Amino acid sequence: MAAATNEDRWTLNYKELGTGPVPTEPYLAKEYFEREREKIFKHTWLNVGRVEEIPEPGDYFVKEIAICNASILIVRGKDGQIRGFHNVCRHRATKLVWDEQGCRAKFSCNYHGWTYSQEGRLIGVPEEDMFFDLDRNEYGLIPVATDVWEGFIFINLEPKPKETLKEYLGELVDLLGGYPFGELPVCFQFNADLKCNWKVIVDSQQEGYHAKMLHRRSLPGFLTNKENPSRHALDIQVYRRHRMISYFGNLERTPTPTEALAHRFGASVTKREFSMESMPPGVNPTRSNKWAFDEYVLFPNFHVLVFFGMCITHNVWPIDVDRAIWEARVYLPRTENAAQCFSREYGRCMLRDAWLEDGSTLEASQVGLASGVIDHFVLQDQELLLRHSYKVLEDYVNA
Amino acid sequence: MSTQVSQVKADQSLPAGFQDLEVFVSAWALASERERNRQRLSSSMEEIQALYDALLPRMDEIFNYLNQLPLNDMPADAKRLLNLSLSLAEVAPAVEFYKQPEVVDGFPAERFVPVEVPHMTPSEE
Repeated sequence: MAAATNEDRWTLNYKELGTGPVPTEPYLAKEYFEREREKIFKHTWLNVGRVEEIPEPGDYFVKEIAICNASILIVRGKDGQIRGFHNVCRHRATKLVWDEQGCRAKFSCNYHGWTYSQEGRLIGVPEEDMFFDLDRNEYGLIPVATDVWEGFIFINLEPKPKETLKEYLGELVDLLGGYPFGELPVCFQFNADLKCNWKVIVDSQQEGYHAKMLHRRSLPGFLTNKENPSRHALDIQVYRRHRMISYFGNLERTPTPTEALAHRFGASVTKREFSMESMPPGVNPTRSNKWAFDEYVLFPNFHVLVFFGMCITHNVWPIDVDRAIWEARVYLPRTENAAQCFSREYGRCMLRDAWLEDGSTLEASQVGLASGVIDHFVLQDQELLLRHSYKVLEDYVNA
Repeated sequence: MSTQVSQVKADQSLPAGFQDLEVFVSAWALASERERNRQRLSSSMEEIQALYDALLPRMDEIFNYLNQLPLNDMPADAKRLLNLSLSLAEVAPAVEFYKQPEVVDGFPAERFVPVEVPHMTPSEE
């Protein structure tokens, strides 16, 4: 095997990112976490779910954005529009909706009964005449900037966001717009509450270097083969804030017996389902016939992985400098028969197990970081996105 | 007493042609991913391998049968057969990847909690 030449190095295309070490302080310092809270999470567009979760008027879910001490009510109104509100009663600031999801004609506060419409208007105040010049129009729920892109619902906690969602997404609008996310209406989600910094989780899902070792049992030979032993990526691109890797897939490898069954019966991680011609330019951007999937990492905390016939997302929610929630989702086509149920179940189980492999490294990384003996990371070429991640992070917290 | 025994047996019956798999029903014909996963993690590799070896060669036959039935309105014995077959998906990684019930060096499965996404996660009744 010939040694990699400089022409093979993605990192060298991005001079501004350099090749030097990356500090570990952002994973450990309380003060840095405070700046992330104030400078990032209170100002960026954050994905909170999919439109399919609230299909009918009155359908709602509540999303806790712990780092911002915000509880957000996302609700579909009678007009079909999806809106976001601070989940706080305007009367005495009580948390309005206490469950996580449901469908309601109106939202009444449990405390004194102030009642709001699906569109956030104040429509009922018990003993209203006992107040003093109360104008209902001034006391609707406090709206949160909410917008939808390709069925993904985003919020922005800034009262008047400086950028629209589309401006924030930038290049991704054209690269991924038109991918058939809506044809993947079945979703399985797993949550893990982890004793690690949120970026440890983000980082674990933005490089392929780990796959050959950590996933050597669950994805044997999938992301590499003899002709491509260490260069896992077909393409790596960094944008202004976001970034992507297009992964090589060894489709010639022999599937395990159960995997082969699952392939015969339906979509799975390692099988192609949608036709390539209908895909937007950001899906398999090199149009390689040895393509596995593309991973788009949206700053700050949202990953979208597009495959042929399925999609995966990760949302990472900081709780404290050394604690975060990892939400992993897989989106699949509807199943029509029992065999497709089997195929889907195989996909869910093998992905879950691969994620359990990832899970162990996360707290182990934080334990090592907390020892304080490592003050910087050394990153190889395949870990370019971590380098970019750090630069964008620094730009935000120092702004 | 005899009624009770035949009741238990009826609860474990599989459709005609699949009776030889009934020995696996009480342990493995479970309705949810969590139950199947717990069963995998509390079984020995011998038990897991026995299920795997019994189910794998029968899967085409099983789905040729089950695919003729409406997915959301199956008779109880067919639903049991489907739930049993889903246990092959559950144990496959143990047999084919890990050679042990648990993920090797894995994060604890009970800390990786399934969350139902409204209107998107199929019910596992």
